[in-house]
Amino acid sequence: MSEPAQPKYRVASDKPFLIGLGVLAGSYLLIIGAMVLADLVFLDYGDQPILGNERVQQGRYAEGAVPIRVEAGRTYHFRLGKNEVALEHDEQMLAGKNLFKANTDEVRLQPRIPNAPITASLRPEALVIEIALTNHIATLTTDESHGLLWGQFIRVHGAGAGWDGVHEITDTTTNQLSIALPENSAATPKTLQLSKPNPLVQALRSRDIQFSIMLSLISCTITTLMSIWVAVPIGYIMSRFEFRGKPLIDTLLDIPIVLPPLVVGLSLLILFRYAPDWLSDSVVYKWPAVVLAQFMVACAFAVRTMRVTFDQIPHRYEQVALTLGCNRQQAFWRVILPQAKGGLLAAATLSWARALGEFGPILVFAGATRQKTEVLPTSAFLELQAGRTEGMLAVSLIMIGAAVIVFLIARTLGMKRVFA
Amino acid sequence: MIALKNISLKQGSFELSGVNLTIAAGEYGVLMGRSGCGKTTILEAICGLRSIESGSIRLGDEEVAGFPPAERGVGYVPQDRALFPTMIVREQLAFALVLRKQPQTQIAARVNELAKLLGITQLLDRAPDKLSGGEAQRVALGRALAHRPAVLCLDEPLAALDEELHEEMCRLLEHVHRETGVTVLHITHSPSEAKRLAGCHFRMENGKVTRE
Repeated sequence: MSEPAQPKYRVASDKPFLIGLGVLAGSYLLIIGAMVLADLVFLDYGDQPILGNERVQQGRYAEGAVPIRVEAGRTYHFRLGKNEVALEHDEQMLAGKNLFKANTDEVRLQPRIPNAPITASLRPEALVIEIALTNHIATLTTDESHGLLWGQFIRVHGAGAGWDGVHEITDTTTNQLSIALPENSAATPKTLQLSKPNPLVQALRSRDIQFSIMLSLISCTITTLMSIWVAVPIGYIMSRFEFRGKPLIDTLLDIPIVLPPLVVGLSLLILFRYAPDWLSDSVVYKWPAVVLAQFMVACAFAVRTMRVTFDQIPHRYEQVALTLGCNRQQAFWRVILPQAKGGLLAAATLSWARALGEFGPILVFAGATRQKTEVLPTSAFLELQAGRTEGMLAVSLIMIGAAVIVFLIARTLGMKRVFA
Repeated sequence: MIALKNISLKQGSFELSGVNLTIAAGEYGVLMGRSGCGKTTILEAICGLRSIESGSIRLGDEEVAGFPPAERGVGYVPQDRALFPTMIVREQLAFALVLRKQPQTQIAARVNELAKLLGITQLLDRAPDKLSGGEAQRVALGRALAHRPAVLCLDEPLAALDEELHEEMCRLLEHVHRETGVTVLHITHSPSEAKRLAGCHFRMENGKVTRE
């Protein structure tokens, strides 16, 4: 038996290269996945209790645990901060954050280190103690201040038809809140429970956000249609014709991509100062401004995509079509455009997604007026400004959902074979 | 017939002038020459895909120099065949006839006739990306012949085919030429192919076309 032949010339293994590729690609994919997952996980999808005033006094730990008086039989929500190790209740040590029902008159906060500031929170659940009904307006009185605001939503449980479900709060005082009930609601119940629906439900039920969802969907669709309408001819001209000044036009077409979006908005705003009054009055700070601001940026991307698409279709097809009896127009519609279908779809999804995410130019050129020029990114911004991270996240999830749906639709259309 | 008289054209730094070429009606002309000597340019000029600066192009009895490609009555098979990727074979064959708004029944009859002539009847419902090189060549030929052009321009139609197919396609081209009586201008740089097919033989050198 001879030894297997050894090649004279040997190359290094492919493994390091392939592993390198995998690691680089994988890490990016991982970040994308983790990012979306974090959004989904961060949001608390369950209902939250309605909590009264803080029971923990500000101050520092002295030696040992700090006792807090509680009411036996009542439900409390606690959250430990960075300076506590546990909440001692009925000889049990509770950690993290949770609800518990008090069995004793006292709970104790166990500090991590002496003399540190107290960072824990302990709040009782607010209970409804009185229910009044006049003219289909139910006024609920709570034993603790509920901290809810007009325009927020609450969920009612265990009260019968018409009562149970999510209601918009129509009026509040510290200890009272009112909700409107439908005509054929059940009689006034003896007791009922309240809870706060999760931020996603709050967002979806809010009329402001409903409006901004609608405006976003409609404006993005109009923007996409307009972008395609413009991008197809420009892409075709730039791909098929040679003329003087073409490099200049090429540069002009890139301006909206290169300029900071905010500057695009400002430029539009300034441009419309020169427009006749009737025109600027009906555009600036109105919904057409939203569409125009989206269009200016989104269309540039659609033009790029269409140009590349047409560039990739050889002239040969048109030439053959011309000899077979087409004029240029027929060759375009019958031979070129059907081949550009994939690119067309890509341009449409790209401009739709760009338009959905557009924020800066809209803020400058259309403003951020609720129920008028508020689109989803504006909603997210307004929620953030009001300090409601959860609300912002809810709006973000709605945007992620919308984007995913549109991409899925585009993919399905794109996958459909040309030859059925 | 094809008659080029004193053609001159310019394309960037490439220039041709005083080109003459005549192929009688129904003749099979083969044009040979080195790569890049302007054979394809001449072909494109005949098809109307490249504008000429001066000279006359007669196809049949008509002076077509000013005509758009559609009105010249030529069939064009480019080197890469350029089958339309979005159409099945049947649609490719029918394309020229649909443009001429012929009735459905006539189109169907012509498509079947072409398919039979070229031996592609079983391929009519295929997409072009499912065709082999030889099959694609047949379809491209059929598409170019559908509207019964008087002139057929073939740009290196057999260049990418293997030896066996080569002979088969040569026979097919002879057969098609005999059946249709079309005037053919066939570009190649294979001398054997030229010898095999040519009724008349042209050579392109230094920007001039000479008959051999």
